[in-house]
Amino acid sequence: MTAQLANLLFGATAVVYAFASVLFVADLLGRARALAGWAPRLVAVGVPLHAAHIVVWSLVLHVCPVEGIHFALSVASMLACFAYVLARSRYRVDAVGAFVAPQALAFLLASRFVGTVADEPRLRSAFLPFHVVSNLLGIALFTLAFAAAVAYLVQEHRLKSKHFEGVERLPPVDALDRAEHRFLALGFPLLTIGILTGTIWAREIAGGTGIARASIAYASWVLIGGVLLLRAAAGWRGRRAAVGTILGFGLSMVVMLMYLVRGLWGGHS
Amino acid sequence: MIVVVGLSHRTAPVQVRERLAAGADALPAVLARLEARGELAEAMFLSTCNRVEVVALARGEAGVDAALAAIREELARQGGAPGGDDLLPYLYDKRGDEAVRHVFRVAASLDSMVLGEPQILGQVKEAYEAALAAGALKGMLGRCISQAFTVAKRVRAETAIGAGVVSISSVAVDLARRVFGDLNDHAVLLLGAGEMAEAAARSLGKGARSLSICNRSFDRAAALASDMNAAAVPWDALERGLVDADVVVASTASPTYVVTRDMVRRVMKARRGRTLLFVDIAVPRNVEPAVHELDNVYVYNVDDLEREVARGLTARRGELEGAEKIVTQEVGQFLAWTRGLEVQPTVVAMRAKARAVLFSELERTLAGRLKHLAEGDRAALTQMLESAANKLLHAPTTKLKARAVEGDALELAAAVRFLFDLKEVGPAKDGSQGTSEATASDGDERLPN
Repeated sequence: MTAQLANLLFGATAVVYAFASVLFVADLLGRARALAGWAPRLVAVGVPLHAAHIVVWSLVLHVCPVEGIHFALSVASMLACFAYVLARSRYRVDAVGAFVAPQALAFLLASRFVGTVADEPRLRSAFLPFHVVSNLLGIALFTLAFAAAVAYLVQEHRLKSKHFEGVERLPPVDALDRAEHRFLALGFPLLTIGILTGTIWAREIAGGTGIARASIAYASWVLIGGVLLLRAAAGWRGRRAAVGTILGFGLSMVVMLMYLVRGLWGGHS
Repeated sequence: MIVVVGLSHRTAPVQVRERLAAGADALPAVLARLEARGELAEAMFLSTCNRVEVVALARGEAGVDAALAAIREELARQGGAPGGDDLLPYLYDKRGDEAVRHVFRVAASLDSMVLGEPQILGQVKEAYEAALAAGALKGMLGRCISQAFTVAKRVRAETAIGAGVVSISSVAVDLARRVFGDLNDHAVLLLGAGEMAEAAARSLGKGARSLSICNRSFDRAAALASDMNAAAVPWDALERGLVDADVVVASTASPTYVVTRDMVRRVMKARRGRTLLFVDIAVPRNVEPAVHELDNVYVYNVDDLEREVARGLTARRGELEGAEKIVTQEVGQFLAWTRGLEVQPTVVAMRAKARAVLFSELERTLAGRLKHLAEGDRAALTQMLESAANKLLHAPTTKLKARAVEGDALELAAAVRFLFDLKEVGPAKDGSQGTSEATASDGDERLPN
């Protein structure tokens, strides 16, 4: 019964995110404008469904929701959607949902269908809660920063090329730039905690293995820190900041994927 | 019959239009003159920058020409030329279906100089309220104008006739919003003091944090600044002004670039990369085109703005067909209602006659053979007769009305009058309940909608 409920919640969440994604993309393409207002609402509906799915699924598998990369992906995407729901009106970045909703759907599906929870090592450490929770929140905020950065590049390209068609479907470039900076600035301290606890945890449990993964994680930390530093010190805004954010987020995703698929490759590192 | 006489941007130049225009203060007097004309049962006077029109209800079918002549006379008087012959080439007149369609199209902004502009609906509403206050709207015409509001709302809701931006000023404001969102946290700098820039700056300055004006002649800048509640910036402080501004509207008469790439590069360094938007409406251009290549700097010239205006207008024209369909549908609905009015007096008289006959018979019987009946039985009998009368008359009433909606009820109405031996009744053209004094139970005589 509980397994069926987990499947039901998984399906409902996926359907809601899928519909939201379709509506967001249709809006960006100038179609179904009348229904566009429903897309952020669907994301808001998806968040509690997603949270319920995480809880029920963790009960089915007897796994703590903050343990293991599969749950981490799912929880991070749920938190990103939650942060989007909270931030969209404040920063007037409704259209950022066009990137957040498909990503949440992709993470939800990946958490279920790429590798298995059983492949993951069961690691216990005092640092684990700090490591996982800070990383999850950090990734949620970087997801929003990434979405704002992508939207910024699209919008900036339209404005620079003077092709104004569709320009009204994305938020103003200045609003996107500010939103991206705020998400990044909020996420960076969390990423720092994640990196520090991860370093200690990896030494404790894995004896310093996973060098490649750790190196990429450090690179993403340096990159995102650099974006923030250059913005404050040298006024790096707009396109350069957006590209830096996308690269930094991309590297952190590579780390996540390496965790995710290591079971498939048959190793822990 | 509803009639319209007037002139608009399509038929008359501004010097003619302004002669006939009447502001809010003059409107009651104009309406009082129209109200006093015996040829007009109802009237409304619409005066905007682009049109002056009288919409009226002629008194009786035969009086349409007289009504048109009366309106022309009043318009001539309004224009200060009692003869009015010089106005005739500019005036158009419309009657019946054509007049109703015209009123609906005007309210829906389909006949406006800038297709889909929203102000006209407010102007028609003001004219309607003034006419209502003056007692010049009593029935059918009032109904026609209020239906025009419904048409305008439907056209706006169901088509994109009001979408897009269609003036240089509004494009400038729209671009600033695309770049910055709300302008209340951003500063606008007006470079030069040309009329176009002034108009754009007035639109932009409305919601902006601050407005500054920088001009080669500081006196001119100061004069305009005091007029626009802005700050004047000396010409030699231009670069400093660019550091502080977020939106720059340039319109100097300079034959060379006033703002160069090197200058903006320095400015952007001082601004620590904050976004800067130039709206360059000067010809020759004031801002070097290469400035647009710098990060976080956007430059739009008059060609870019005009292209956007053209795009907005094309998009609106694409909506015209859908809007016209809505107008046609609503005209049909309104005319069906007016045709229903033609048979209303016959229906009222027929029902009154039937009830009068039945109830006089009932009264006679109750006073004679059935006088022994108790009160309760009498009431039941009255109720039964009432119900039978309604049922009997339901079919002829609905059939007559249905035929009226189709526009072919005059013969049938005459036949009903002949068969029921009704005295001649005139049509209720003013939207009232008819000329008969009969008090038939006409709870179903409501208007469409």
